[in-house]
Amino acid sequence: MKKPTLVFLLAVVVSMLSACAQAQTVVIANPSVKAADVSKGDLRDVFTGASSSLKDGSHVVPVLLKQGGVHDEFLAAYIGKNDSTFRASWRSLVFSGQATMPKSLDSEAAVVEYVAHNAGAIGYIGKATPHEGVKVLAVR
Amino acid sequence: MRCIRLLLLLACALALQAVSGSAQSLDDLNIQIHGYATQSFLYTTQNNILTTSSSNGSPAWTEAVVNITAQPIPKLRVGVQGRYFLLGNFGNTITLDWAAADYKANDRFGVRFGKVKTPSGLYNEIQDIDPSYMWSLLPQGIYPINSRNSVLAHYGGVVYGTFNLGQKMGKLEYRGWGGERVIGTDDGYFVDQRESGLNLPNGLSGVTLGAAIHWRTPLPGLMIGASDGKDQQWSSTLTAGGGALTGAETLKPFNLPDYFARYEKDKLLLAGEWSRLPVSGALTFTGLPATPVKIDQRAWFGMASYKVTDKFTFGVYDSQSVDHQSALGAARHSLDWAISGRYDFNQFLYAKAEQHFIAGTEIGYDTALNPHGLQPNTKLTILKLGVSF
Repeated sequence: MKKPTLVFLLAVVVSMLSACAQAQTVVIANPSVKAADVSKGDLRDVFTGASSSLKDGSHVVPVLLKQGGVHDEFLAAYIGKNDSTFRASWRSLVFSGQATMPKSLDSEAAVVEYVAHNAGAIGYIGKATPHEGVKVLAVR
Repeated sequence: MRCIRLLLLLACALALQAVSGSAQSLDDLNIQIHGYATQSFLYTTQNNILTTSSSNGSPAWTEAVVNITAQPIPKLRVGVQGRYFLLGNFGNTITLDWAAADYKANDRFGVRFGKVKTPSGLYNEIQDIDPSYMWSLLPQGIYPINSRNSVLAHYGGVVYGTFNLGQKMGKLEYRGWGGERVIGTDDGYFVDQRESGLNLPNGLSGVTLGAAIHWRTPLPGLMIGASDGKDQQWSSTLTAGGGALTGAETLKPFNLPDYFARYEKDKLLLAGEWSRLPVSGALTFTGLPATPVKIDQRAWFGMASYKVTDKFTFGVYDSQSVDHQSALGAARHSLDWAISGRYDFNQFLYAKAEQHFIAGTEIGYDTALNPHGLQPNTKLTILKLGVSF
């Protein structure tokens, strides 16, 4: 097989794997959030503390998973950071008095529960996790 | 200062009213306590640096920080942070990092007041927050650790916000600040004065104003910014000969221009900054001719870091500083190449190792710990262990 063909095939495989990772994670929000979808940029701003609202004006409060595969996938796919870099950037805000650390919960079920009962809450869970009482936001 | 205390009391009263009015539980207040601590070890091949006996190996760099914040209503936060700081002959005390109330009306406008971090330059707000970056020692031309406590924060306020410029133009963040800055009597700026018998018993303080903009460009990860601070005339009592002579140290108004950029993509981070500190003033004693004080420090750095694995980050920077008012020689400049590594064991524990190759003696040295004079070149090794929660 020629080299360019091999590189092309590898790129296709990598992009398919990346898309697959994104598809495993869904973004959920409290039903009070008006938006039906959210851009990747908005999501990154909200989860890095740069913004506290979506483009349609909905005030949102991010909720995190403490750790795990879904957490790592979400950070890689939508925030562009790994867990240690992500937490380091939040520490900058917390220790300089610019923000409080988002709530971190132990399980996806706890995230669903919290998001369902707190106005403006926005979080992420695995696709297969039951999510009654919350709305799923499409990521553009 | 009295005004600041009143504002803080007002913020506390507002927070208390918000709590009692809606009968919130402690959980509703979103009270958080965070902290970190670091212990460092310094070793130099030539001169003693940062007022430590580093040429023998010195563990005299310890920091511990605790903060408590509450968010009684979504738009209001109140908090306070204290710090224990020891670096050689600096510190060994507990100080107030910041104590502020923050009201964020929306993404476009927020205000913070009390003792607040000064949002100048690329790293000023976070230069003391060791867990948030990979370096053990930030470029000293712009972020001198022996003067950190004085430039980090001021008594007064900060306004801030972000404007969306549209998909093709990115976002523009602004910060404006004003208040009083106090340079403590034990600050690094005064080390040489103090060791020659000149003391500022009340430190040096004055009005400070400034503004900064950060343009988050349409290219994801690229931020370009500028800030400028305007410090008014500062004046303070000066003593010499153990109090036998009394005079004044006066600094004329000066600006602190600063330009910077940062690019983050995946595992790569690139950053650069240039700043200038032009200060002129005089030391005056009654009946004696005034001694001029003139500094024109211009400093810049370029840095790069790469996340080699999830836990290990490697980086390098080149930092240069020149005082254009100094006589030619090694004391006029400081050129510092640093290579650094950081390893995160888990979310809480990390270690850093850093090697500096320093040419010139403009920054970080004192005469008392280098009684035989300064050598022009120094190699500095720093090992650091940190824990945060």
